[in-house]
Order: sequence, then C-alpha cells, then structure tokens
Amino acid sequence: MRRYETIFIAHPELSEEDHAALEKKLRSTIAFMKGEVIKLEDWGAKKLSYEIRKNSRGRYFLLDYLAAPGLVRELERHLRLNDQVLKFQTVKVSDTLNPEAVRTLMEAGSAEILPKAPEVPPPSAEPKKEGLEKATAEGGEDK
Amino acid sequence: MKPPLRKKRSFQRRKVCIFCADSGMKIDYKDVKTLSHFITERGKILPHRISGNCAKHQRVLTTAINRARNISLMPFSIVSS
Repeated sequence: MRRYETIFIAHPELSEEDHAALEKKLRSTIAFMKGEVIKLEDWGAKKLSYEIRKNSRGRYFLLDYLAAPGLVRELERHLRLNDQVLKFQTVKVSDTLNPEAVRTLMEAGSAEILPKAPEVPPPSAEPKKEGLEKATAEGGEDK
Repeated sequence: MKPPLRKKRSFQRRKVCIFCADSGMKIDYKDVKTLSHFITERGKILPHRISGNCAKHQRVLTTAINRARNISLMPFSIVSS
C-alpha cells in the first residue's frame, strides 16, 4: 500500500448532486479496490492562476488515500470521464506503508478530521485560506 | 567599468539556504505562500545564486513549484499589463 494524494479541480458552480455523486463514485472506487480514504478536503472555490477550459475559478478538492498502484489509474479514469472535473494531479506521498502504520495513520487522521469539522461553517473569504494553511501544516507533520 | 564592479561583488556575504538553516521548514507544493517567495514578479523561479538555496533544496523547490503550477495554484507566467 502506498499513500497518494490527488488534488482535483471541479467546476466552480458544481451542483450539490454532482458533488455528492462524484464523492460517492470516488469513495466506492477506493473501497472496491481495497484502498482507504484518509481524508477528503474541500478547499472551496479558489481563483485559478490561469484559465482552464475558460474558467478563471475552480473548486479544489484534496483526496488523501492509501492505495495499491492499480487504483490510481482507475481513479484518474473516473476523474477524466467526469466533465465537471477540470484538472487533477496525483502525487505519491510515501511508499510501502505496513498495515500497522496505516492503522495509526487512520486514527491520527480521524483525530485530525474531527476538530476540523466545526471550523467549516464561518462564512467570509478568510476561512478558505485558513483551511489551506491547515492542510499544508498537517501534510508536513504526516511526512 | 567592469573590474570595479567585480571587486565589489567579491565582498558580498554568502547567503545561507533558509531550508537548511531552519530544519522545521518543509517544502510542499500545496504551500503557495512559502513557494511564492522564490518566484519573480513574472512568475519565474529564482535562481539559487539569488535565493541562496543549496542545490538539494533548490531541486526540491523546483519540483514543488512545478507541481503547484500544474494544478493552477501558481502561475506559469505573469504577463505585466
């Protein structure tokens, strides 16, 4: 098992149904191929540095998961087929994790996710940035 | 004109790689704030002779910036208006 993270940019006006369908599809694919989701973060709509398919904004998602190599190809195939997804990028975070490390990671992961949940509601533009910083800080710790 | 300039340069203090100096700093392609210190106004990557990075960290940094560019977190180029 390896740990990967995939960032994908969805259409900025992604409807709730499409969002739910996409998330369900990704989760079921990972579950089917015996991978495990560590976290799925929604960074919200951010300004893109350059236009992608005439869109200057995009909704960022970060999917952090454990997978066997074949799963990445399958996951990317789904992302490619979904026309709500503008772009995606998969990065291998770490090689060959043994099951024990995975379990501690999962525990740490759930601990990370729980306190984060209440932080999502506050409106205004700032929470998004905070979320991003938080994500990078956590990413650093995990390595 | 040129010789005096060269003399002045040789007195410049050598810059230290900030990633070596501060071991707590990690280079991550998602951390746009840190990465943006190492690009020019036009979006190009600063050479290590200007930023003072060591070869190892410059390499990691370049990879990180290119990843950020690929996923549109950072620009490939900024066209001045």
